[in-house]
Amino acid sequence: MTFDFVVIGATGEQGSIASRDLLEAGYRVLLCGRRPRTIKKFLKNKCARFATVDLRNIAATAKIIRASGSAIVLNCAELTWNCHAMESCLRANAHYLDLGGLHEMTKKQFAFDARFRRKKLTALLGCGSTPGIANVMVAYAVMDFDLVDHIDLGFAWDSNMKTFVLPYSFESIIHELTVPAIVLENGRFEEVQACSLEGMTSFLGVGRQSLYCIVHSEVFTFHRYFVSKGLKSVHYKAGFPLHSYTVIKTLLDLGFASKEPLCLSGSKIIPLDWTSDVLRRIPRSKQYKETEDIWAKIYGTSQGKPKRVEMDCLVKTTPGWGSAGSNVDTGRTAAVMAAMLHRGEITMTGVTAPEECVPSEIFFRELYKRGMRVYKNGKPIHI
Amino acid sequence: MKKPCIGVLGAGAIGQLIVTDLLQTFDGSIVVMGRHLSTMKKKFPASKNLHFRRADVQKTETLAKALRGIDLVIHAVHHEYNEAVMRACLKTKTHYLDLGGLYHYTLKQFAFHARFRRANLVAVLGMGAAPGITNILASYGACEFDRVDHVEIRIGVFDQSVYRKISPLAVSYSLQTLLEECSWPSAVWKNNTMTFVDPMSGRESYKFPAPVGWQKPQYTIHSELATLPKTLHAKNVFFKIAFPDILVENIQILRSVGLLDEKNLKTTMAILKKLPPSIPETFEQYEIIQVIVRGMRHRKKSSVRLEVHVPTLGEMIEKDTAAPASIVAQMVVRGEWITSGVFPPELIVPIELFFQELAHRGMSVRKNGRKIF
Repeated sequence: MTFDFVVIGATGEQGSIASRDLLEAGYRVLLCGRRPRTIKKFLKNKCARFATVDLRNIAATAKIIRASGSAIVLNCAELTWNCHAMESCLRANAHYLDLGGLHEMTKKQFAFDARFRRKKLTALLGCGSTPGIANVMVAYAVMDFDLVDHIDLGFAWDSNMKTFVLPYSFESIIHELTVPAIVLENGRFEEVQACSLEGMTSFLGVGRQSLYCIVHSEVFTFHRYFVSKGLKSVHYKAGFPLHSYTVIKTLLDLGFASKEPLCLSGSKIIPLDWTSDVLRRIPRSKQYKETEDIWAKIYGTSQGKPKRVEMDCLVKTTPGWGSAGSNVDTGRTAAVMAAMLHRGEITMTGVTAPEECVPSEIFFRELYKRGMRVYKNGKPIHI
Repeated sequence: MKKPCIGVLGAGAIGQLIVTDLLQTFDGSIVVMGRHLSTMKKKFPASKNLHFRRADVQKTETLAKALRGIDLVIHAVHHEYNEAVMRACLKTKTHYLDLGGLYHYTLKQFAFHARFRRANLVAVLGMGAAPGITNILASYGACEFDRVDHVEIRIGVFDQSVYRKISPLAVSYSLQTLLEECSWPSAVWKNNTMTFVDPMSGRESYKFPAPVGWQKPQYTIHSELATLPKTLHAKNVFFKIAFPDILVENIQILRSVGLLDEKNLKTTMAILKKLPPSIPETFEQYEIIQVIVRGMRHRKKSSVRLEVHVPTLGEMIEKDTAAPASIVAQMVVRGEWITSGVFPPELIVPIELFFQELAHRGMSVRKNGRKIF
């Protein structure tokens, strides 16, 4: 069977969400990962097959991609392996999409630009909710400005039940909360303390929440694409509900996010990996529901007057996707962008980001079909 | 005449304090047993009465070998090895004393009663602060009643130490025991029936006498519940201990995400053991071990409040766990009672003598607020 897509990390949370979206749309998908047990039910679909992929082995990964016949690879593995996955795609002549690489990895990934261009291939970085939806919303809003001065953006979420559920990859959360944040300040990238408090704000559908400055790839890509519009400052802010933030912070303080191996009964354990596994298994009540607001505030001038635009994308627990909570917005959005690339709606070659190459109206329409509503200044965008 | 010999199995925090107490008060030889001889030796000052032997509680053959010639062993390693050490004691004809068995282990240990009796040996179970002092206070109080309706045990600590660095999970005893106490359902004896309630439940604001003051004691599983309901014929018995808010919050978070589930407990413990310990600049703690007994006396409802006050200045609060073990071990090897079998403290320890020994060590006994020892 020839496949439409190869999904790497398909056995992880976001990879399986993206795979399900693509399979339900009728695409043929080669699901790649290390634990087929976790996606047994997908493998009953006649359009799905499984292949074991270890991204550490670039040659073997490229061979599997080539053999799949697919022209598009969606990489949903941990960001550490993004460059390995890109290298594999180049060797297999396949387009590449991923879920983001924070600041440092994204910078490294843009160094692949010339090679992807030469091969007329697309490498679309940061195709989830944020980066992803946030980038397209900002690009949509920036069109209203003559000059953009600064952009604040981020996410905020809450749940109806105040019990802890892992909001997204534990590894990513810990990385974001411990690595110094990078902000764009007066046109220069500056390091600020990891997870520094940036006040409280009220969010659409979520309510009031504390915001913490964290490292994210949008700061880097917005500077790249909007510096010509005069952009001077970008701050990325995460909003966790108190009941979730307290748990994560406690686990961090108590050593559960350590990467230092422990020897236990003769076997080696990495606390971060082990904890991530335990947290992933926390059962969710059927009544548990989440709401997430992916938000951006853009400040600048239009026709010589100061202007401010607020963009929001509101995501709620989707019926039938309950176990993923509002987390569907990352995997399903990646599936949307992969499908747009497949349909030829994204045409740019080289290494790019959603704010540069994703047509906003088609994209918002696809989000709408999946229950994700985009708002401009508090009003829904009608497509 | 040959001097008596007491062995201390385990040279952890409590084991070290037991040895220190014995060195100061015991006229006999002391044998410290553990896995690493060189590490153990570094922990103690040189003394002609102090000897060291290699023993591993996980390897019973090393244990029986190490116990040879020892009159009594104080078992200061984790309670999961209580039965193994008791079995070794039967082989070597050694009296046995431990610091508790977290209810479930203690119950199992009573199955050794007949064998200890036949071997003419004594085993004292739970002879630290709690269990230990608590059992003896309860027994002392119960003597005043015709019928015991309630035994309420509460432990509160006031810590005025200055720390250079404080651990997010600072505890005054074994981390493993703490995590087990906080994750296993707590035994509560209610209306002559044993019930098990959620661990760390029943948290209440409660005022201890000064200087401890307001604390929030809560239920945890404890050995006292394995014996007091029967030995005192009490209708209701509970055990509550107050921990600092931050410790309770941290433990509750670990529980809520499943990290204290039985299958995860070992790994959780290994991770937590890597936490840097608190580094105190000055020690200044005050513990109150309180037992309130309520019941009928001369056909009237009555109650008595008994307390042991443990002030520490420049020493560790755990001395109240170490000293009772040392006191009672010395009583056994001196032959101060003639009996054999497996006993909880309340059935075997001469109360007044015990209280006098505590008082010698700076721990006063109070009845309804008045110092009696």
